[in-house]
Amino acid sequence: MAKKEFSFNDAVEEIEKILHNIESGDLDIDKLSVEVKRASDLIKLCQKKLRSTEEEINSIFKDLS
Amino acid sequence: MTEKVSLTELQLIIRDSLYMALPDFYWVIAEISELKENSAGHCYLELIEKHPDEKNVRARVKAIIWSKRFTFLKAFFENSTGETLREGLKILIKIKVEYHEVYGLSLIISDIDPAFTIGEMAMKRQLIIKRLEQEGVFTMNKDLRFPAVPQRIAIISSKNAAGYSDFVNHLKGNSFGYVFYTSLLETALQGTETEQSVISALDKIALTSHIFDLVVIIRGGGSQSDLSWFDNYNIAYHITQFPLPVITGIGHDKDVSVTDMVANMSMKTPTAVADFLIDSVAGAENYIIEMIPGIINASRNIIERNKTRIESSSIRLFPLSRIMLSAIKDTLTSKIIEINTTGKELIFRAALIPADQRSKLTSAVKSLFSRGKLALERNNQRFITGTKNFLAVSSVRMNSLESTLQLLNPQNVLQRGYTITSHNGEILKVSDQIREGDIIDTQFKDGTAKSKVIGKDDKRFEPQND
Repeated sequence: MAKKEFSFNDAVEEIEKILHNIESGDLDIDKLSVEVKRASDLIKLCQKKLRSTEEEINSIFKDLS
Repeated sequence: MTEKVSLTELQLIIRDSLYMALPDFYWVIAEISELKENSAGHCYLELIEKHPDEKNVRARVKAIIWSKRFTFLKAFFENSTGETLREGLKILIKIKVEYHEVYGLSLIISDIDPAFTIGEMAMKRQLIIKRLEQEGVFTMNKDLRFPAVPQRIAIISSKNAAGYSDFVNHLKGNSFGYVFYTSLLETALQGTETEQSVISALDKIALTSHIFDLVVIIRGGGSQSDLSWFDNYNIAYHITQFPLPVITGIGHDKDVSVTDMVANMSMKTPTAVADFLIDSVAGAENYIIEMIPGIINASRNIIERNKTRIESSSIRLFPLSRIMLSAIKDTLTSKIIEINTTGKELIFRAALIPADQRSKLTSAVKSLFSRGKLALERNNQRFITGTKNFLAVSSVRMNSLESTLQLLNPQNVLQRGYTITSHNGEILKVSDQIREGDIIDTQFKDGTAKSKVIGKDDKRFEPQND
């Protein structure tokens, strides 16, 4: 559909995958902190997309009116 | 000779004839092609009959609703059908035929049956639905996946429409703080222009559909909402073919139109649509947040498992490290001794040097010495923890040394039954310290005894080995 929709869904898929990896217990401890950090970054990114106005999108919409 | 009549006479004959032929009230089905209300409140209509697929009008006549009657019928009709009396509607009316010598023929409307119009509208709607179903397109917009985060919205509405500003304000003021982007396409939402206007708005959005997540069609409600403008085949068909989900909030409290039925979703009011969008975004955020406890718990399990591994390893590791650190400390200690010795030597040599040169050398050596000491101290820092451990261990060793020392303490020697012999206050260790005839003192644990030496020999003490 659109760029932003694509990356939000991608982020969710990736977080799901990380959760699955950690829960399966196969992850070794060195990779654990990397994966947890990645999940945390993705979550923050998603929440940011929901709450901060993105200038790029904002200007497109301003041009439409 | 043919009889001559005046025009008035002719008109009156027609009038009377008509009255005789049609003196009563008759229920008639007709379509409103024109409707006007004048300043006095009277309603003037043009009624037609036309086959839906034909362009030609089969019949046409003028009709009147006198103002007092019109006030009542208007309200009655609207309350019953949810529609205002207007062009395009098919109605069932009770009429009386009237012929006026000046104004000609009119039908005077005294009553109306709203059920007929409802039925007509329902039938019209059914026909449209059937057609869309037969074409296999009815569910196409409904089948589109609703976006997880519906943030970018194309609005088909009117600035002045009741409901538009409510919608936007509701969205932008949501308590979660979510951001929404909206773009309004000014559209006619009632009257004969509706079909054309809505379709052209949809076409315009379709050109840049990638920048939007969905389309909403919103309009204020109430009984005067004239929903039947949206019982329109063309509008419905366009929606089924549209690439983005369409949500309607056309605000009709009695009914749903075909447009509502083919839309991806339909809600009762524009505010309800806004709430739905906000809840959708909240749902998406919630889904992510709910994964966090899972990640934390699973991570904790892994850490706990690995902690156990480390603890069992470190029990084996600690003695090894103590030995290592002890060796390092020895090296450190010998280095300190080295530097001390060198320093002392230098200072000694400094003494052989003239006084004025000596002070220079002394301070140079002193700074060398302190720099060396500093470097060692820095190195020392690195071993402090190890050293502390070492010292802890050493203190244990010291304690055992201490107890050994305690055992060797003269007082403890006495306690164990040995005696201490002295002569003139001097403790005797070898027999050479006394001669025959000396007075010696013997200290027991519980007292002393004075004795006189009566003989000596050189026999050494040999410990018995069993």
